[in-house]
Amino acid sequence: MAAIIDIHPAKHRTRVRRATAESAWSRWLVISIAVGFMGLMFVLPLVVIFQEAFRKGWDGYIEAFDDRATMHAIWLTLKVAAITVPLNTIFGLAAAWCVSRFRFRGKRLLTSLIELPLWVSPVIAGLIYVLLFGAQGFFGPSLKEHGIKIIFALPGIVLSTIFVTFTFVARVLTPQMEAQGQAEEEAAMTLGANGFQMFWRVTIPKIKWGLLYGIILCNARSMGEFGAVSVVSGHIRNKTNTVPLHIEVLYNENQFVPAFAVASVLTLLALATLILKTLTTTKRGAA
Amino acid sequence: MARTRHVLPGFRLSLGFTITYLSLIVLIPLSMLVWKASTGGWDGVLNTITHARVIASLKLSFTTAFTAALVNGFFGLLTAWALERYSFPGRRVIDAMVDLPFALPTAVAGIALVTLYAPNGWIGAWLAQYDIKAAYAPLGITIALVFVGFPFVVRTLQPVIADLSMELEEAAACLGANRWQTLTRVVFPALLPATLAGMTLAFGRAVGEYGSVVFISGNLPFKTEIAPLLITMRLEEYDYSGAATIGVIMLIASFLILFTADLLAQWNRKRTGH
Amino acid sequence: MSIHIHNITKTFGSFNALKNVNLEVKTGELVALLGPSGSGKTTLLRIIAGLEFADEGEGKIEFHGSDVTNRTAYERKAGFVFQNYALFNHMTVAENIAFGLRVMKKPERPEREDIDKSVTELLRRIALEGYGGRYPSQLSGGQKQRVALARALAVGPQVLLLDEPFGALDAKVRKTLRKWLRQFHDETKVTTLFVTHDQDEAFELADRVVILHEGHIQQIGSPQQLRANPTNEFVADFLDCVMI
Repeated sequence: MAAIIDIHPAKHRTRVRRATAESAWSRWLVISIAVGFMGLMFVLPLVVIFQEAFRKGWDGYIEAFDDRATMHAIWLTLKVAAITVPLNTIFGLAAAWCVSRFRFRGKRLLTSLIELPLWVSPVIAGLIYVLLFGAQGFFGPSLKEHGIKIIFALPGIVLSTIFVTFTFVARVLTPQMEAQGQAEEEAAMTLGANGFQMFWRVTIPKIKWGLLYGIILCNARSMGEFGAVSVVSGHIRNKTNTVPLHIEVLYNENQFVPAFAVASVLTLLALATLILKTLTTTKRGAA
Repeated sequence: MARTRHVLPGFRLSLGFTITYLSLIVLIPLSMLVWKASTGGWDGVLNTITHARVIASLKLSFTTAFTAALVNGFFGLLTAWALERYSFPGRRVIDAMVDLPFALPTAVAGIALVTLYAPNGWIGAWLAQYDIKAAYAPLGITIALVFVGFPFVVRTLQPVIADLSMELEEAAACLGANRWQTLTRVVFPALLPATLAGMTLAFGRAVGEYGSVVFISGNLPFKTEIAPLLITMRLEEYDYSGAATIGVIMLIASFLILFTADLLAQWNRKRTGH
Repeated sequence: MSIHIHNITKTFGSFNALKNVNLEVKTGELVALLGPSGSGKTTLLRIIAGLEFADEGEGKIEFHGSDVTNRTAYERKAGFVFQNYALFNHMTVAENIAFGLRVMKKPERPEREDIDKSVTELLRRIALEGYGGRYPSQLSGGQKQRVALARALAVGPQVLLLDEPFGALDAKVRKTLRKWLRQFHDETKVTTLFVTHDQDEAFELADRVVILHEGHIQQIGSPQQLRANPTNEFVADFLDCVMI
C-alpha cells in the first residue's frame, strides 16, 4: 500500500472547544483582569515617576543633578554597592555550592537562614546593628574609646546593606545549580583537574548567566535599600545619605522634581535589571 | 558516626565560609535583639507590649499585610494562569514586570504610590469623588503591601501551573465535567497549596515592609502607624530595649506564620504525594 | 454502543498523524489498536474521546449512529483511562470514583446515598473494598490503574477507551490485570477500544486487532486472521518480529 502524502495545509476546527481550554470570553476576561491589575499597580507608578521627574522639562531634570548633596549621595551609594556586591557574590557562590552539591545535617536550617532577609523587616536589619555598635549598644563604649564610628557612618550602612541583600546571589544560583547537576564537575575531577581549575573552567561557565543576574539583582537591591540604611545612617546630609535616603529628604522638603529625577535613575536601574533577567532566563535554562 | 565522603571538593571550605558569614552578619546581631529586649526585664517587655500605641501598630501591620495577601492571592492566581496558559500580545513584558517590586527600591515605589493615591493624584482624585481615602489611610498601606507581595504569589504559582498535567483536566472533561466544574473541582484544589504558600510569603514580606509604606501611610499614631515605623521612633528616643521588644514580637509572629505554612505544606505533600 | 470512524485525517503542523482512517467498532466488542510508537494510535483514541479534533473535511465520528464530530469531550462522555491514570491527587479514591456522578446536572445527578452505593459497588468490583478513604499517592500502580478504570465506569459510559492501560506496570502485575480486564469486559460488555504497542497483550485480550503504521490502518482482523494472512510486508514483518 503506497503512502498517500497529504499536501493540503492543516485545517483546524475552530468551532469546537478543546477540553483543556476556556471559552474565548472567559480567557479575555482573565487576561484583562491580569493586565489591568498589572497596569494599575506596576505600570502607572512607573509612569508617574517619569512624569513628575520631567515636570519642568529636560532642563529641570538635568538641573536636579546639579547639586552637591545629590552627587554626594550618588557617590556614597556607589561606594556601598562596590563593597557589598563583591562580598555577597562570594557568599552567594559558597552558599550555593555547599547547598546544591552536598547533603549534610542542618541543610534545611541553613537554607532558611539564607532566605532570612526576605522575611526580616529591613528596619530590624538596621536595628540589630544599632544595638550592637550604637552609642548604647553592646560594643558601643569600647568602640567610642578607640574612636571607631560604625553607626551613623559608612561601615554601618555597608553592614545593614549586606544583611538585606546577601540572599540574592545564593537564591538565584542554588536552584540553577541543583537543576544542572554535578556530572560535569565530577568528570573534570576524574580528568585530573584540581578544585580551583574545576570551579573556574567548569562551574563558572555553566552558571555565568545566573551569576550575572544574581549580581545585578543584588546590586539593584543594595543601591535601593531604604529601611535598614535609614535606621543606621542618621540622615546626615553630605555624609551618610545614600540615594534612597536623599530621595526621602528631597520629597519631604517638597522638592518634587529633584526627588523624582533621582528616583528615575534608580527606576532605570530596576528596569535594566528586569530586562537582563528576561534575557538571561532563556540562556540560564539552556546553559 | 561515620565520616561522609564527598566526591566534589570544597565542602568544608564553602560550608565554613557560609556559616561564618551568616554568623557574623545574621546570627550574632539577631541574638543582640533578644538580649536587648530582655534587658528591660519582664516589666519592661510587658510595659512595651501592653502599650496601646504598640498594640495598635502591630494590629495595623498584621491586618493590612493579611488583606494584601488575600488580594494578591486572587490577582496572583489569575495573572499566573494567564501568563502560563494563554498567549496574548505583551505576555513577555507582563511576565518580566512581575518582578518589578524585587528590583525597584522601596522608597521609589513609596513616593510613586503616594503621588498616585494622594487626594490630588491620578487615582486618589478619582477615589475622592466617592469619598474613599487611599493615601494616609489603611487602604493606602494595603495598596503598597499588595505591590510588594505580588511577585511572591505569581512566582510560586507559575511553575506549579506549568507542571500541572493536562491529563487531569482531560480526565475531568471525559467524566462529563464542564470547564467551570473542572476548574473549580480539579484545577483550583491542585493549585490551592501553592497559592497559600505564595500568599504566606507575600504576607511575611509585607509585615515588615517599611520603605514603600512610610510615604503613603501618613504615620498617624493609633491610626496609620505601622510597627516598623514605631521601631524607628523608639530608636530616635534612645529607647533601645523598647525598639528591640517590638522587633522580637514581629520576628516571632512572622516565624510562627512561616513555620505553620511550612507544616501545612508538608502535611499536604504527604497526603497527595507531591 | 458502536463507534463509526469515517475518513479521519489529523495533521500536527506539517506532520500527518492520521490519514483517511476508517474503522467500525461493534457494540460490545473489545478492540486493540496496535502499532509502533508514532503510528497515530493514541491520537486516534483521543480524537474518539473528543480530546483532539480531526482536520476539517469530510471526516466524521459517530457514536451509535449519531454524529458526535462537533461535540466536546464533556458532551461525548467516553470513559477514558489515561496511561498515567490521571487520578485527582487531592481527592480520596472514593471521591475520584464519584467525581463523574457528582458533576452531573441536577436532574440527572443521583442522590448522595446512591452515589455512595455505586462507589462501594465499584470498589468491590475492582477488589479494592475498604480503600475508599485512601489517597492515590498511597496506592500501588496496579491499584491506581483499577481506580482509574472504576472512575471511568462510574458514569456508565457506553464506550471505554484505554490508552496503554498496562504500560506503566511491571510484567507480573500486567499479566494479572490483563486477565482481570478480559473477565471484566465479558461481564459488562462495554464497547472497548484500547491502545497498545505490545502484540501479546493485543492478541490475548482483543476480539479484533487494528494494526496502525504511519497514520494508516494496515490491517484489521481477529488475531488468527492476522497471523494467517498478513496483507502487507509491514504487518508480516511487525508480527514476525514478536514471534522470534
